[in-house]
Amino acid sequence: MTIIECPRESDVLDAIDSRRWPHRVSRELADHVAACEICSDVLTVAAAMREDHGATWREADIPSSGQVWWRAEMRARQQAIREASRPITIAYGVAAVAAFVLALAVSWFAWPTVHEFASSFASAQTTAFTSPLTLPLLVALGALLVIAPVALYLVLSDE
Amino acid sequence: MFTRDMTFTDVERLDRIAAEAIETFVMDEEAFRAFYDRTARSVWSYLARITGDRTLADDLLQESYYRFLRAERRFDSESHRRNYLFRIATNLAHDRHRRGRHAVSVPMPAENEPGALVDGSDLAAETERRTDLARAMATLKPREREMLWLAYAQGSSHEEIAESLGVRKGSIKILLFRARRRLAAALGGPGAFTRSRA
Repeated sequence: MTIIECPRESDVLDAIDSRRWPHRVSRELADHVAACEICSDVLTVAAAMREDHGATWREADIPSSGQVWWRAEMRARQQAIREASRPITIAYGVAAVAAFVLALAVSWFAWPTVHEFASSFASAQTTAFTSPLTLPLLVALGALLVIAPVALYLVLSDE
Repeated sequence: MFTRDMTFTDVERLDRIAAEAIETFVMDEEAFRAFYDRTARSVWSYLARITGDRTLADDLLQESYYRFLRAERRFDSESHRRNYLFRIATNLAHDRHRRGRHAVSVPMPAENEPGALVDGSDLAAETERRTDLARAMATLKPREREMLWLAYAQGSSHEEIAESLGVRKGSIKILLFRARRRLAAALGGPGAFTRSRA
């Protein structure tokens, strides 16, 4: 069975941390490290990494905590607003499509009357104006064109 | 794209939602700033060494803290919080590695370190040793680099390593043993580092 740990590993790590290795360490520990493959590996790896860690720590050019907090706050706000705006945008899209379909339907049903009015106007006959249905229909159409977008806006923009 | 004007109620509502987003952070500003001051250098060093890229480490540092703040969980202790932060950083580094945007390079240590209280020859020797370590680290698997850094650079316990990396605690000993063997061999065998310092 392969031995994967040695009880003296912690002594080796202590010696590195306290800067006693290699000059101020006991002869006994030095002999052990020379003879023990595990402790020898621990020494090689830990000494290299702790030196590098110390240097990397000093070199680290990190942003201030206030800056990181501020950026996180901004980002969280933007993300929340983006997520909250999505349903509103969809609702407006649906409303626009519905309004378009409604306008098409109204045009379709009103077309015979409009056509009749246009024909009578073209032939310079006044029958269209004298028809009892023409005036109310024109007023209703005009009102629909003016009021519908305003009503749609008010309904959808208020909770 | 469909655009529209917002009403006052829209603005008020979105403002309220934005304010609520900040309330979901795992800690308030004061606590966060103290926690950041205690941990940021360690996290940056870890990211710089496991990715081998200082610029990437800068990006991942910000991202790690942002995700930490947005984490919907409670922490029992400082150690638990810290390990969770390292776990986020590790996962982000893995994601970048998987996306193939980044191959581990050998970062050159900064030479004119202002805080270094060593003379020119010591500094040159230290720089050389650090470059050797970076090269040797680049030959390891990401998991091995992470484990070794946490264990030997930061002095984390096996429990902390397991929690930070999402690995079973029982596997740490053997994984650490193998990784250490590989790194020691890549550094020139047992005693290579101390021989170079003598």
